[in-house]
Amino acid sequence: MLWLLPLTPIAAACVVAAAGRLRSRRALAAVGTTVVLLTLLIAAAAAAGGWSGAALWSRAIELRIGLSPLAQIVAVTLPAVALPIVAYASAHEPEFGLRRLIALLLAFVGAMELLVAAEDLLTLLIGWELVGACSWALIGHDWRDGQSPRAATHAFLVTRFGDLGLFIAAAAAFAGTGSFAYADLAALQGPLLGVFVLGIVAAACAKSAQLPFAFWLFRAMAGPTSVSALLHAAAMVAAGAYLLARLNPDLSRADWFGPTIVAIGAATALAGGLVAVLQSHAKKLLAASTSAHFGLMLIAAGAGHPAVAIAHLVTHAFFKALLFLASGVAGEAVGSYMLRNMALRQALPVTAGLTFAGTLALAGVPPLGGAWSKEAVAAAAADAGHAASAAVIVAGALSACYAFRFQWLAFGRRPEERKGDAEGGEDEHAGSDEQRARMTHPKIVEMPSATELTALGLLAAATIALSLLWLAPVESSFGRLLDSSFPHASPAEIAASLVAVALGIYTARVLNAAPTLLEHRAPAALAEWFALPTLLRSAVVRPATRLSRSLARFDDAVIDRLPEAPAAAFRLASRGMSRLDGAVVDRGVRAAAGLSLWLARSGTRFVEPATDGLPEGTAWLLGAAGGDARRAQTGLSHHYYALIAGGVLVMVLILIAAS
Amino acid sequence: MLSAAVFLPLAGALLLAAWRSLGAGAARAVATLVAAAPLALLIAAWLAFDSTPDAPPFQLVEEAPWIPTLGVAWRLGADGIALPVAAMSALLFVAAVAWPTDTMGRARQYYAWFLFLEGVTLGVFLALDLLLFYVFFDLSLVGMYFLIGRWGHGDSRRAALKFFIYTLAGSLAMLLAILGLYLATEPLTFDMRAMIESQPLAGTGLHGSLVLLGFVAGFAIKTPLFPFHTWLPPAHVDAPAPASAILAGVLLKLGTFGLIRIPFSMMRDVFATWAFALGALAVVSILYGALVALGQGNMKRRIAYTSVNHMGYTVLGIAAAGAAVGSADARVLALTGATLEMIAHGLITGSLFLITGAFWQRAEEYDLDAYGGLARSTPRLALLATVAAFASLGLPALAGFVAEFHIFAGTFGVYPWLAAFGLVGIVITAALFLDMLQRLFFGALPERRAEFGDLSVRETTVLALLLLLVVVIGVYPRWLLTIVDAGARALIGG
Repeated sequence: MLWLLPLTPIAAACVVAAAGRLRSRRALAAVGTTVVLLTLLIAAAAAAGGWSGAALWSRAIELRIGLSPLAQIVAVTLPAVALPIVAYASAHEPEFGLRRLIALLLAFVGAMELLVAAEDLLTLLIGWELVGACSWALIGHDWRDGQSPRAATHAFLVTRFGDLGLFIAAAAAFAGTGSFAYADLAALQGPLLGVFVLGIVAAACAKSAQLPFAFWLFRAMAGPTSVSALLHAAAMVAAGAYLLARLNPDLSRADWFGPTIVAIGAATALAGGLVAVLQSHAKKLLAASTSAHFGLMLIAAGAGHPAVAIAHLVTHAFFKALLFLASGVAGEAVGSYMLRNMALRQALPVTAGLTFAGTLALAGVPPLGGAWSKEAVAAAAADAGHAASAAVIVAGALSACYAFRFQWLAFGRRPEERKGDAEGGEDEHAGSDEQRARMTHPKIVEMPSATELTALGLLAAATIALSLLWLAPVESSFGRLLDSSFPHASPAEIAASLVAVALGIYTARVLNAAPTLLEHRAPAALAEWFALPTLLRSAVVRPATRLSRSLARFDDAVIDRLPEAPAAAFRLASRGMSRLDGAVVDRGVRAAAGLSLWLARSGTRFVEPATDGLPEGTAWLLGAAGGDARRAQTGLSHHYYALIAGGVLVMVLILIAAS
Repeated sequence: MLSAAVFLPLAGALLLAAWRSLGAGAARAVATLVAAAPLALLIAAWLAFDSTPDAPPFQLVEEAPWIPTLGVAWRLGADGIALPVAAMSALLFVAAVAWPTDTMGRARQYYAWFLFLEGVTLGVFLALDLLLFYVFFDLSLVGMYFLIGRWGHGDSRRAALKFFIYTLAGSLAMLLAILGLYLATEPLTFDMRAMIESQPLAGTGLHGSLVLLGFVAGFAIKTPLFPFHTWLPPAHVDAPAPASAILAGVLLKLGTFGLIRIPFSMMRDVFATWAFALGALAVVSILYGALVALGQGNMKRRIAYTSVNHMGYTVLGIAAAGAAVGSADARVLALTGATLEMIAHGLITGSLFLITGAFWQRAEEYDLDAYGGLARSTPRLALLATVAAFASLGLPALAGFVAEFHIFAGTFGVYPWLAAFGLVGIVITAALFLDMLQRLFFGALPERRAEFGDLSVRETTVLALLLLLVVVIGVYPRWLLTIVDAGARALIGG
């Protein structure tokens, strides 16, 4: 039954992709949102009904899916966030390949649901890699310029490198337990447990854009805005933090797991925060903030509070999706994602207002849900030591700073408007929104449609609704859903946190007042992930390419020649033999001929007489014998008698001897 | 049934050779029909095959006396490894014959050689007699030699000759090894089942190792493993696309299949002694093949080198399965994966080579940089090539992943370090295939490619059927795993 959850959107994606007649934006919006809504309903029903599923591959392997408490929350959050995003995509994105885009977004949701519902490492790996492949196709969506596919390949390769960890983790689990099931992981011991944990951590850090893999998210910005929104909020990037939370009890059995994850999370939260503060590109600012906030989730998971990590994942999903969609509206409006070109408060007042809800949540300003979950992370971090708590508080300050920088630059007032305000003259602009916008903002290109605003509105409403988590009964029932309770920070900690947020907001004001400050070389380099991408290019990509080219040459020049050695040896041997033939055999033949000639000659000289002498000699011998015989025939009878008597005597003697 | 699967295509080849009045189109139709007959027979055999644990390993055995004084007989039969591999081969032959190609005015001969090749390769997979195996193994060289030499392009004669001499040298090494193994049997016989039963060279030390070396050398050239692979790229580049598909999809499998059938099964002790070395050589092939493939600018050479990489996975699985260490479960997983990789690689790389044929038919150019932006003008080609490329780089829900996952999970339980090093190969293959897709299909369309047409209906059908099977195996491999698992367990025990 639960197979419906991943398979419904995937099957729908295939149908949409194949339905050539599905062209209009309205039809695509209708089909896309219906499918996501259906997925949401299935997820809710599955969570309520405790559905599960299994598929047998062979005697050794069975795929299992089910919804643990953590999985339930994520499985429902995912389509809930995807719903406005798909609607927005159908209205916002260019006509080119729109049907493909919607189909891929649906497949993306399906693959992520499979990952979330997985209850064994093979199913997890299948979902995990399918999510990666979908993200490749989505980031490279506009393949005509050639840059997007390159960025897509970059993102796919970095995350797939992390995926190797998952392969190894699955193999280690099988080697240790004879099964891939999560349920059997408890039996994993010793070095294999260490290998397993290491593999999972590597895969999760790559997917969730943690250090040292954090930079791939920047390249992923080549994709359409709606893709970024889904990718950052609830799919793909969320997978890493989700996995660390989902498998937390098994992972924690390795002593070093908690401290390592806290360290990686804290480092990414601080570094990502700094990068975001220094960024002047709207989408990159948000991308760096994604890394930072997933760093916070890692801290919570590492401190032994997986439920807190998931709670922050949920609140983050809604406000981050909202901010991305808003940045898309702003970018479309002015034709650029550079923050300094925006300042759209007068031009797009509704968008600006809706975005502000997201900004407050990102900044961690109570009573927004984002603030609640961030305070929960801070409280959880206390279990991992003061340093971790401090890191969360500083990361919160940075978060507040870049959130407000984003809001004020993207949806603030333009300098000349601010001057006008000071003079007290409020312009009354007559006519439609669009006319007013064009008058107030000369660079405006495109106004948001009703669908886009509805999508923003839904996400803003959800972001605001999550404020209810501050209420104790709501919090405890949320805790029951997650089968856990939430740690609470002490008043002192909360106060410190709030002061940090206020400081952050003040810093944002200072930075925005001096925009040229960030254009210096040092901050600009820091803003590109401390030049990590350049390092990767010169330390990994270029050497690998060079190595492959030189190996290809080596293969042609050396390996291909190896069998030529025996071939050359044969050739040499045959040439040698032909020379031998000329030198020895040929001479031998000639020598033999000479020998026979010599023999023939000597024959005439020696053999001829010898052979001739044989018959001659015989004849002479016979002649001589005949002469002797004749002499015996005397004609005298006493001679004959004597001979006969002698003969008889000989015969008698012979007979005596014989007897 | 199995004998018919071997004889029908051979008879079909004779028929085509003799039927002088047959036109090109009719020859293809006849050949496709004849090529499909063994496929139907093998599917029937599959349905009749008993995969339960207590079933005998070799089934559907057919036996007729041949040279009784030497212990040679016509013996055919199948186990859970041979049958699926043979069925995949038969399918690939149907696809290769049905694929439209330029037969250079000699259609009958072209299709006759294909049918001949189908008969003898099925003979290799189904033979249960070592001499019969060798005869079929060598005859396959002849068929491929003529297909490359006569219907290839570029310097095809030289490539064909290189292929022939190189692999014949391997065959000779194998022949010596066969004699070494044969002379150790008591009473003298070429019956494979008897050899598997009696393990004639157990505990013979150097003698056994030398025989193993002969087999490994012969099969490593055929597979091919590093550093014996250099006959492969020229043979592929200059061969006509369907012959390339068969060369990669079927002929390379003769090497890995032979490895399983003979040294792995018949000389287990000796094989186990050398398993790690073989596995290490396989890992070198995996990494080296992938890296060199990445360095190629010619699409056919690039795909040819990925065969070195993928067959390296297969040999790694075989080596791990034949090791003396590790649990039986892990080794079964490795051998199952190796068999699956043969099938997956056959279907996937076969498809990829057919796709390169589509490029050659249209533009006579294999250079990746000569293309770009084709996704716009040839959406069907782009989609099918993308699916094939992702299948080859091991994406889940496609056949290659199922195979590679089995291999790595199994090998890790035997030789963890080899598995870990080998894994790096899947990142490199991802890089090289994504790079290839990007250079062919994305970016701007060069002006001279404006006339480049999309796949025809026939081409689309052939490719779509092959790739559909790739998806089916990837999503629901149970029907395949059941029989392969039975075969692997019968060999390993457990």
